[in-house]
Amino acid sequence: MPRSIPTGSRIRERRLALGRKQTAVAGTVGISPSYLNLIEHNRRAIGGSLLSRLATALETDRAALAEDGDEALIEELRAAAGAQQNNEAEFDDAPDLARRFPHWAGLIAAQARALAAQARTIEALSDRLSHDPTLADAMHELLSTVSVVRSTASILAQTPEIDANWLGRFHANLDADSRRLADGAEAVVGLFDRQAARGADRMLPSETVSRFLDDAGHRFDVLERDGVAAVPDLVGGLTGEDARVLATEILTGDAEDASRLPRALVEAADGPDDLIAAAGGDLALVLRRMGVVDPGRGLVICDAAGALLRRKPVAGFPLPVMGAGCPLWPVYTALGQPGRPLTVVVETPDGADWRVHAIAQAVAVAGFGAAPVIRATMLLTRTQSGGAGAPVGPGCRVCPRIECPARREPSVLSTRPDMLDMVDLTGDTLPRS
Amino acid sequence: MIDIPSADAPVDAPRGRVLLIEDEPNIATAIGFLLQREGWRVSTHSDGRTALDAVVRHAPDVIVLDVMLPGQSGFEVLGGLRAGQNGTRADLPVLMLTAKGQTKDRDRAEALGVSRFMTKPFSNRELIEAVRDLARTAPE
Repeated sequence: MPRSIPTGSRIRERRLALGRKQTAVAGTVGISPSYLNLIEHNRRAIGGSLLSRLATALETDRAALAEDGDEALIEELRAAAGAQQNNEAEFDDAPDLARRFPHWAGLIAAQARALAAQARTIEALSDRLSHDPTLADAMHELLSTVSVVRSTASILAQTPEIDANWLGRFHANLDADSRRLADGAEAVVGLFDRQAARGADRMLPSETVSRFLDDAGHRFDVLERDGVAAVPDLVGGLTGEDARVLATEILTGDAEDASRLPRALVEAADGPDDLIAAAGGDLALVLRRMGVVDPGRGLVICDAAGALLRRKPVAGFPLPVMGAGCPLWPVYTALGQPGRPLTVVVETPDGADWRVHAIAQAVAVAGFGAAPVIRATMLLTRTQSGGAGAPVGPGCRVCPRIECPARREPSVLSTRPDMLDMVDLTGDTLPRS
Repeated sequence: MIDIPSADAPVDAPRGRVLLIEDEPNIATAIGFLLQREGWRVSTHSDGRTALDAVVRHAPDVIVLDVMLPGQSGFEVLGGLRAGQNGTRADLPVLMLTAKGQTKDRDRAEALGVSRFMTKPFSNRELIEAVRDLARTAPE
């Protein structure tokens, strides 16, 4: 797999191609030439509105400059291809497709996501068929009535010499049962209609909130400025009460974090260690703030069950939209050693290195003798280690490390025939993680 | 109790007694008619709670038992029968009818010792043949 080109290098390449001076471009976007130089040499993370301004100044698409502009897309394309059991040769040119036809590639990725959502709907509906007592009763009534109609009708058809007494009786039964059948069919259709009216959008509240946070890059300027007071307006546009409650909880936490560790301090820091004193020793707070404030860093928070509570992806380190992450992530290591701060270097399957800071600590202590609620937090920062990083992946379903001992389920990227057989075309073919 | 007028003269001498435990009157009528035409003496019963008493009273050779019954489900009736409750013959052949046709219903019935399991809708011929087979293999 080719190493992805960092955003800074792309900016430099583009600027040189246009024959523009650093000074001129830096002036246009309102930063110093030396800062642009640092960005171009990948010494400073870049994202958010600055990247958009640079894209405009360099007369190109933001997506063409952002590393994740195509990396994330390429991953999705590979997953989509894998889900349809195509062989490796056929989806080897996914990077090419993403670069040359970004809009078509985006459409493929969007359709793959829609398919995954539909697969979940189908699962929910078949679950409903076997567990919904109202529907089960309605179906039972229908089948019972069909049974009577069938029996009675074939008696009439096969007994030409039937006596008038019986004939009258069976005709009356058929009349009554056919009415019952019509009513029963109507009742079942009504059940499905009500189900459909419940909303075309079947996203889980957690998915709705995830998408909302990702769209904003997990960064809300009003929270930094106005604190908790800004939360109701931010979540007001979300569909569904559950999603609003969940988003309110997350953003309220972000606002409280912001007041405890102001953005200016976070932006001035070179790494998490610089902020420990300012955060009063709350290491998880340091990681959360650096993750949220800096567009160039990723953030993952999980609970003691390993369920992902917060996932802020960063260019080059795709995080699963659904389900658990990679069991090799340091966030899970931290969970096993609560209170111990970890810093390690890991390597994603494309060969990129990441400095990971992780800590598991209690978020709520009810009192002496009560079990604390533990959460683990991990901060992802791009680094260079020359191949010294411990291997990790993006989550088993889309991870190419086939022989990984920690593998939990087959990868859709697998090309081993025995693994491919396990990916059933008619069944669960879509990437969940 | 459902009143079933006697069918046309049976082709053969009476084959034996069938007790039909089914609360749906129209299906009981249809099944009763079919079995009578085949030479069976058919009694019907519609309440799950008193089904075992009806078994004792009618002393059938074969039981046709619906799963969905008021009072007590067909599974409970089958369980009571196989346990010999109320002094019933524990080894009576039982044909169970259900509209649900789900594996778990079938498994449950088999675990309780059902002789044959049939899902609605069934064909008349299937039903007649099933009852005939059960009577043939029934203990004397």
